[in-house]
Amino acid sequence: MSLLKKIYCWIDVRIGAGELVEKELTGYLLPRNINVWYSMGSILLVIFFLQVVTGILLLVYYVPDADKAFHSVTFIMNNVPFGWLIRMCHAVGSNMMVLILLFHMLSVLFMGSYKSPREMNWLSGFILFNLVLAVSLTGYLLPWSQLSFWATTVATNSVGAIPYVGEFLVEFLRGGKLVGPATLGRFFALHVLLIPLTIAAVVGAHLFFLQRTGVSTPPFGLTDSRNQWQGDNYRYESHPGGIPFFPNYALQDMTSIAIYFAFFLGVFFFAPYIFFPADAFVPANPFLTPAHIKPEWYFLANYQTLKIFPSEFFGLAVQGAAMTFLALLPFIDRGVEKHPLKRPLFMVCAIGGILLYLALMIWGHYS
Amino acid sequence: MVKPWQGSIHAENGTSCHDCHGGDPKDAVNAMNPARGFLGVPKEIEIPSFCGRCHIGIRDDYLQSAHGKALGHGGPTCVTCHGSHDVKKVTLDIINEKNCSRCHAYARAAELKAAMEQAEKQIVVIEERLKVYKGEGVNTDAREKALFSARNRYHRLFHEVNTAKVRAESAQIVTELDKIQRGFGNIEAERQKRKITGVVAVSGSLLAALLFYLLRKTYD
Repeated sequence: MSLLKKIYCWIDVRIGAGELVEKELTGYLLPRNINVWYSMGSILLVIFFLQVVTGILLLVYYVPDADKAFHSVTFIMNNVPFGWLIRMCHAVGSNMMVLILLFHMLSVLFMGSYKSPREMNWLSGFILFNLVLAVSLTGYLLPWSQLSFWATTVATNSVGAIPYVGEFLVEFLRGGKLVGPATLGRFFALHVLLIPLTIAAVVGAHLFFLQRTGVSTPPFGLTDSRNQWQGDNYRYESHPGGIPFFPNYALQDMTSIAIYFAFFLGVFFFAPYIFFPADAFVPANPFLTPAHIKPEWYFLANYQTLKIFPSEFFGLAVQGAAMTFLALLPFIDRGVEKHPLKRPLFMVCAIGGILLYLALMIWGHYS
Repeated sequence: MVKPWQGSIHAENGTSCHDCHGGDPKDAVNAMNPARGFLGVPKEIEIPSFCGRCHIGIRDDYLQSAHGKALGHGGPTCVTCHGSHDVKKVTLDIINEKNCSRCHAYARAAELKAAMEQAEKQIVVIEERLKVYKGEGVNTDAREKALFSARNRYHRLFHEVNTAKVRAESAQIVTELDKIQRGFGNIEAERQKRKITGVVAVSGSLLAALLFYLLRKTYD
């Protein structure tokens, strides 16, 4: 018996490792028609892990002080060995996290995986989406550049359109009347501690719900693509005769993760400035408003929506309504059919919604 | 007055009306009150000291030059060549036959211009490169300081009429500018290295993806 095998046996007789491996890996069966879109979640876990690691490394040199923040980031980029790599990895990675999260949500939408009994999976995912946007927004201010300063000013300003409590909320977010050192302090605390911890907790809940409901069957390649759950009692969706998670789908996950890395590294090494306008490298100056202040690409649609309505309140209300609709989708869409081509109303709304989002984004970029 | 100023180098650098003309812009009633430091329009002879409050070195150069020595006797003041409110960033173009021939022959000015051309070209190139690098997060502080110093020395030559001195000084400035430009080579070499690393990293990821894919196929 090899040494490795001996160690395994030693552990196995104590904690039942073999049973665990059988239950969660080799014996964990997935639908035979599972597709590549199911690996988006694994990619997101890898990105989140990388964001945490690079974020911790950045904390070694970053100084969350309005007088020193910009210089500390410049120092990381220019003087710390491989500092540029860590900082750019963190910044490009945050954009990728939002992009892959959108793909993940879209795949869940089109494959009807949000339907009963997976309401809680969808809701926890939706909360994660908002948390990722929040962690991106709070992180955006930290370099204390012209771009981050003014983008945060615009973003926090829009909250002021909420009737009665708007002004109070703006002041609460900023820690004062204007974006300043107090804003940096609270955004820093939110970005490095509160939001990441909440994300980790909600990711845990999301995986727990997945573990309890079982992996949903994709609607493609089936004669009957309707939701089989009757709603009468708890049922784990098992897949007898399916493919094992390990090694089969784990290798699919690894393939997708490697392809993601090829894409990420391609952007990272050859077009890193796609996410950085020149204002991102100019220190914040509260007395000099840049000519065109634009938020990050994932907030451009929201930005443009606020602009096209005559009152900011309507712009906010429309966005609030759209987000509420999306959050409550599993409770609104009660149809049993999961195949997108057999759900014409869904397809019209989904494709229309995506096109509208893209159009607003492009409009926001060029406006 | 405001419109020409809006397109000027002063507006670009945030130098406003009261920075030159004095007064109190925060108090509309007393904005133009001499008691609040309002200076108004300077007399012709006062113009060099008026501009020279900020452009100290240039004022001294001007006063020592043939132009400055003719101040008050029909010689040009700052605004004769630079304009008053639509002051543009100075380039060698300001020395041209049309401008100079208003008062004297152009031949010597042309010689001076030729001596300074190389430095001017290099300054423009360096400024552009620094702007690009700055927009990409490169710490350009030291290089900007070196350029600032070289550019100041270069600008001071504008009021010098001694051709030999201008040639010698220009050559020295060009040497300094060469040194700054050589520094760009290091940045470019580093970037090239990163690109090669990028090719290796992207290829490695794609290769890994292919291997995982093939391995998965063996289990199907």
